[in-house]
Amino acid sequence: MEHTKGKNDFTALGKRMPRTEDHRLLTGHGRYIDDIDVPGALHACFIRSPYAHASILSINSTEAEDMPGVIGIFTGKDLAEWTTSLRMAPSIEGVKPVEMTTLPIDKVRFHGDLVACIVATDRYIAEDALELVEVDYEPLDPVTNMFKAQDAGSALVDETLDTNLVSHQTFATPDVEKVMAGTDRMIETNFSEHRQTHLPIETRGIIAEWDAGREHLRIHVGTQAAHPYRTAIAGRMKLSESQVTVISPDVGGGFGQKIALYREELTVAALARHLKCAVRWREDRFENLLAASHAREDWVRTRAAVDENGKLKALSLEIVEDFGGYCFYPANYLARVIAMILSGPYKLDHYAFDVKVVLTNKCGNGPMRAPMAITSWIMEGTMDAIARDLNLDPVDVRRINMIREDEFPYQMASGETLEDINPFETMEKGLSIIGYEELRSAQAADRERGIYRGIGICNVVESTTYGSKFYKSAGIPGSGHESAWVKIEPSGAVRGAVGISATGQGYETAFAQAIAEGLGVDPLEVKIEIGNTDIAPYGMGSRGARGGTAGGGTAYLAGLEAQKKVLAIAAKMLALNTADQLCMKEGKVWRCIKDDWTETELTLADIARTAYLDPTKLPDGMEPGLEVHKAYDPPPMTYSNSSHFCQVSVNINTGEVTFDRYLIVENCGTVINPLIVEGQQHGATIMGISGTLFEHVVYDENGQNLTGSLADYLIPTAADVPELEIVHMHTPNKRTPAGIKGMAEGGVMGAIGAVSNAVSDALAPFGITIDKHPITPDALRALLRNKS
Amino acid sequence: MKKVAITLNINNRDVDMLVEPRKLLSDAIREDARLTGTHVGCEHGVCGACTVLVDGKPQRSCLTFAVQTQGKAITTIEAVKGNNDGYSALQQALHEEHGLQCGFCTPGIIVTFEAYLKENTNPTEDEIRDVLSGNLCRCTGYQNIIRAIQKAAAVMRGETPGAAK
Repeated sequence: MEHTKGKNDFTALGKRMPRTEDHRLLTGHGRYIDDIDVPGALHACFIRSPYAHASILSINSTEAEDMPGVIGIFTGKDLAEWTTSLRMAPSIEGVKPVEMTTLPIDKVRFHGDLVACIVATDRYIAEDALELVEVDYEPLDPVTNMFKAQDAGSALVDETLDTNLVSHQTFATPDVEKVMAGTDRMIETNFSEHRQTHLPIETRGIIAEWDAGREHLRIHVGTQAAHPYRTAIAGRMKLSESQVTVISPDVGGGFGQKIALYREELTVAALARHLKCAVRWREDRFENLLAASHAREDWVRTRAAVDENGKLKALSLEIVEDFGGYCFYPANYLARVIAMILSGPYKLDHYAFDVKVVLTNKCGNGPMRAPMAITSWIMEGTMDAIARDLNLDPVDVRRINMIREDEFPYQMASGETLEDINPFETMEKGLSIIGYEELRSAQAADRERGIYRGIGICNVVESTTYGSKFYKSAGIPGSGHESAWVKIEPSGAVRGAVGISATGQGYETAFAQAIAEGLGVDPLEVKIEIGNTDIAPYGMGSRGARGGTAGGGTAYLAGLEAQKKVLAIAAKMLALNTADQLCMKEGKVWRCIKDDWTETELTLADIARTAYLDPTKLPDGMEPGLEVHKAYDPPPMTYSNSSHFCQVSVNINTGEVTFDRYLIVENCGTVINPLIVEGQQHGATIMGISGTLFEHVVYDENGQNLTGSLADYLIPTAADVPELEIVHMHTPNKRTPAGIKGMAEGGVMGAIGAVSNAVSDALAPFGITIDKHPITPDALRALLRNKS
Repeated sequence: MKKVAITLNINNRDVDMLVEPRKLLSDAIREDARLTGTHVGCEHGVCGACTVLVDGKPQRSCLTFAVQTQGKAITTIEAVKGNNDGYSALQQALHEEHGLQCGFCTPGIIVTFEAYLKENTNPTEDEIRDVLSGNLCRCTGYQNIIRAIQKAAAVMRGETPGAAK
């Protein structure tokens, strides 16, 4: 593979250019789902369960159906006639097969679960009708605790299984037990990560239009993965993929929530076909908080065998994850990755894991930005625990365990290979910037005065991209490839498309830069079209920080391929035997004569005109036109790394945590657009801080969700977050196009670990270690009260 | 519910509409006036995405009934612009400083600060953070929005803003 042009340094890649998509969004002309006007569209709304676990005995909708403007009320039995169930039965050891109908028929599994769908001429009328439907439930025992859920006598969330333990997988390197048994020091650490939700500011929504004449379904939906979504909905409606168009217009955030085909969306699409018209649905915020998708509820324990210097000899990991009531993804999908990449930047030869995933009567879980984020908190919390136990400086424990430059590529105990990262360098750089030694002295002096400040360090190795081989080896179904096309129109206008869909990441700008770099034109001359399955080629969508390497990398390769064809035509037009001494730059053909590059008179427009309108002048055997298609499957995994340094002050009287400084030293390889990359790093880091300090989906013991508004489910405001300083130490990946690595999740990972460790460090004089999130003022006060 | 005929003045234009008294201003602006730049993020007054100006003051259009705003001047994102129909200083600064990602919360932030920067031409960073706390953004972490507001304020004061902080 040609990784770099070789003739020039990058000009379009790395350019700090403002985004081209901004214009419509700054002027109120974006087109999100609700902005799309479909005359005559009917409105759907859903009846949802007030119980966590209950049998549906009967649904009486007569009065509602008689309301003017109500078209009909549809139940699980109706939908079962029009759609197939979702069967999740990957052939993975330890993962139990499960199946769910489009709407529940006999029982509901969580507070907010679906019961029926109302269709009316207006959203207000649909919601009025909702009040008139009488549903008779018989409440069942709610399963709300992932440990008790595993008890023999527990009620079953899914009666087709004989247990709530839906996935259980273990792994051990050959000698791990022997090394564990032979150790003097075993350090046990717990981590409890609470339930969260993605909270895109635009909730879910869909418009489905059935063209009864053409028998074609057109869907507007905010999705991160338009093509897999189309495959899924076509399959569930027994349509051919060629009968379905999925269009994902401007999307108001996704963060992992907009990947799966949800039951509400499938219901709306099926009703559009049944009613032979357009049906639309806009989720309200209450529904979004209760029933869209949740994420992250894990309990973790590590046992670290160490020597007297704090050197890690062996590590075992236990995870129990609460997956909620339904599997929209294979149950091992999230926890398994945590286990596979756990050790991050640290050397570890002997390793074992035990990963259990449990069904409960809560909203189903899915991937949320950095689903493996807890790895950083686990490893860095374990490093701090080792330092506390042995009375060592936490930095020294990290130094002694960290993989050094000359040890890469490094094969982790789980079998994954780390390469082209520099965690030791980013850590040392950050330590010197913050003046670590001086901070420790100042901290001691502050403590004398009753001021409790803490320093938290978190070294992140961020798994990015996820190529097909990783999915295969992790036992997760799916592909990691991406595809793109470049079309140069007869006038020389350049269009590009990539299969991935955007939810705010600036792909239109970044992919224009990538194609421009490959082709040799100005990025502003490249128009990118994404999110429409009729236009963009089949790709696997936006997730797992794959936009840069898979999306941008494929776009770059497509640009290079287009340049190759352009130059072959140019060579013929210039009467040269070969294009070896030609290149494209700013839309013009350049020629090298005796190491000297000069501009020729040929432009991209000249070549395009020839390709389309004068094809007899093309090289022998070349097809007319100027279009290329490229697909690319990245390496099994690419890795970026960073070191986060967080300084906090804890007010021991109020439990308030305030930030004194937040520094990130990072390496994400070749950067497509520094402005966009920094924006992603800001967003990810603040999302990590938010999860650690603020957000919490709370269920009571009956399975009632107590956080159904933004006054209850908190995310930070501008007044709550620190200013982030970011220092770059980029080294390219040697195996990816242009050396791109990806980076949009590492900030979450770094923040979770750095903030937790900083608060623990601040409260060390009280013997308090944070082992549970979120670290709210109430939680801290409770810890402090118990200690005093 | 019986509909009533009302006239709303939106962006200096009178719009006649027939609405139920319970119709939210946000829905009237979006559905009846067909101005979809005002976004609805929570429908309970927390996220701030639906903020519009009513007689020059920021107001949550999802907590306001359309009928309440007859006779008042409503300003939405579609009316925000600079000289020669280009960007306002704030729009320009948000563009340059990458102060938006998905863009869904952006209109609410812009109209809030178009009003605030007229009231306080030289806000401190703390004041900006305080006012911005009425608008939730899930993408940016707020940092670039704050930079952009500082930059726009400087431009509006006639200063040449230095390099971004």
